[in-house]
Amino acid sequence: MAAVIECQGLTKRYRATTALAGLDLTVEAGQVFGFLGPNGAGKTTTLRILLGLVAATSGRAWLNGRRIPDPTGLADVGAMIEEPSFHPWLTGRRNLDLLALSGARLPARDIAAALDLAGLTGVADRKVKGYSQGMRQRLGLAAALMRRPTLLLLDEPANGMDPAGIREFRALLRRLADGGTTVFLSSHLLAEVELVCDQVAVIHAGRLAEQGPTSRLTTGRPRLRLVIDPADQPSALALLRRWPARADGPDTVLVRTADGRDVNEVLGRGGVWASQILPERAGLEEAYLQLTENPEAKDAAAPR
Amino acid sequence: MRLLRAELIKLRRPLTWGVAAAAAVFSVLLAVGGAHNAALEGGTPGGHIPSCAELGIPAGPQCTRARALERARVAQASAQRAQVAAQLDPLAAGAEAAGLMASLPGALALALLADAHIGGEWSGRTMKNLLTQQGQRWRVLAAKLVSLWLAGVGLIAVCWLALAAAGPVLVHTDHLPAAHESAAHALFLAGSQAARALLVLAAFAAIGLLAAVATRGTIGTTAATAVAIIAMLIAASLPGTGRWTPATWVQQWMGFPAGQASITSLPTNFWSRFISAGATPGQLTGLLGLAGLLAACWAAAVVLFRRQDISG
Repeated sequence: MAAVIECQGLTKRYRATTALAGLDLTVEAGQVFGFLGPNGAGKTTTLRILLGLVAATSGRAWLNGRRIPDPTGLADVGAMIEEPSFHPWLTGRRNLDLLALSGARLPARDIAAALDLAGLTGVADRKVKGYSQGMRQRLGLAAALMRRPTLLLLDEPANGMDPAGIREFRALLRRLADGGTTVFLSSHLLAEVELVCDQVAVIHAGRLAEQGPTSRLTTGRPRLRLVIDPADQPSALALLRRWPARADGPDTVLVRTADGRDVNEVLGRGGVWASQILPERAGLEEAYLQLTENPEAKDAAAPR
Repeated sequence: MRLLRAELIKLRRPLTWGVAAAAAVFSVLLAVGGAHNAALEGGTPGGHIPSCAELGIPAGPQCTRARALERARVAQASAQRAQVAAQLDPLAAGAEAAGLMASLPGALALALLADAHIGGEWSGRTMKNLLTQQGQRWRVLAAKLVSLWLAGVGLIAVCWLALAAAGPVLVHTDHLPAAHESAAHALFLAGSQAARALLVLAAFAAIGLLAAVATRGTIGTTAATAVAIIAMLIAASLPGTGRWTPATWVQQWMGFPAGQASITSLPTNFWSRFISAGATPGQLTGLLGLAGLLAACWAAAVVLFRRQDISG
């Protein structure tokens, strides 16, 4: 499959701060691609560079096969960066009209269709100053969709949406991807990403920490949940130091391994007895936290 | 053109209507004050010169001198009344409107509009939306500059209309003489000043554009534009530098009479009062200087904007 986004050694420095430190990333066409990372990891900077809003300090990137920055390539790209902002004294529809006038020619019916797709038809003729945050998000989504882009770059698009809205949004992304649109989704809503994304990349401190199919990241990380006496928790953590282990509440220890027999034996030799040893499959959240809070443990915890 | 249309739509906002209303009110208030003062300065009705007895001076050389002075004062006041009446002619009022908008009031009005219209794209965080639709940044700036300039042209029209409506009423209520100039002459005068004001407004708009790009915010844009305009006026009053400053170029290009230090009558502009009289360059120098200022501000704004990260 063709790569619609490709970054090679993408670096961005703002005076003393390094926002991106040599990001390598490839996104293939027709996917819903999740882009995860903690605050300040460089997600928004990556999107801004891809859209030509920010210049990379070094490195190269391509969007739909065109080396960026390439202003002419934006016609096939829909984008929503951070919290969308609009002119508050104008209606939602008028704001989209203005954006349509600012770029390549666009029929009015496409604007109406985008408003409909975003669920805003009923309030499109109300001034934006009266919109809730969720409605502004939807308007941002409509702005990103109105040109029927082949690539959609979305930065925290579900912020402020209610649960029903998030569900609709999830279904919309799936429909778009099924129709051939590549969706690049930067989000903190890990459960949403897990539900909707085919591929996930996690960045940490401006570098790619992990990239792969969502299923591999979520199912390839077995762990054990040990329920023990709270007084034994420090001893248990000390005994289990050969595996990545951490406390999860006063009477629980999480151990990143599938080998319950070994764990039980180590604890028993040390005089600590677990009342329960429960095997678990880590979700995307666990994988994300592991990659971003303790990136050096990545190799130890990588799927085997 | 489509981008320009979008920018003109954005200008249809409460602030624009407020600035236009303020400009119209300011013009009319100035006309009210000017007409009233001209009427008061007119002295005795009918140009009557008081006798020696009325002056309380015995007949003789002293009284003759006093009466001559009084005659000169009455003649000057009468000419001033005629001048104000001519300025308030509905057609000639275009020259007055152009003079006001091509001077300090126009500069400040455009600074306010540049604040909201250009700086507001950063403060309102809408610049990123715009640039994801239109990646050619110079086009965005060109549309901003032209739309701001057109707003300035609109302000001249608004002030002209306001003065054209108020002028005949003021002439009547203040008993000013009817204007003697022909309609063609009044229209030529107004048209010529309005045409000249177009270049000055373009220069003011370019200063506002550069200020917005440099400061990337609303307050910064107003402050930087206002500081630039005031600095121009201060520079023009410095000995030895006045001849070659942008303020002097405005003065000469618009043909503003030097040293309008008083507002007892209706001023043709709010610019020359800040510039000390003295040797000034010719009209061609004014034209070239303003064109150069416009080009320099535009080029600086384009270069700056092209390299700028849009991070808001």
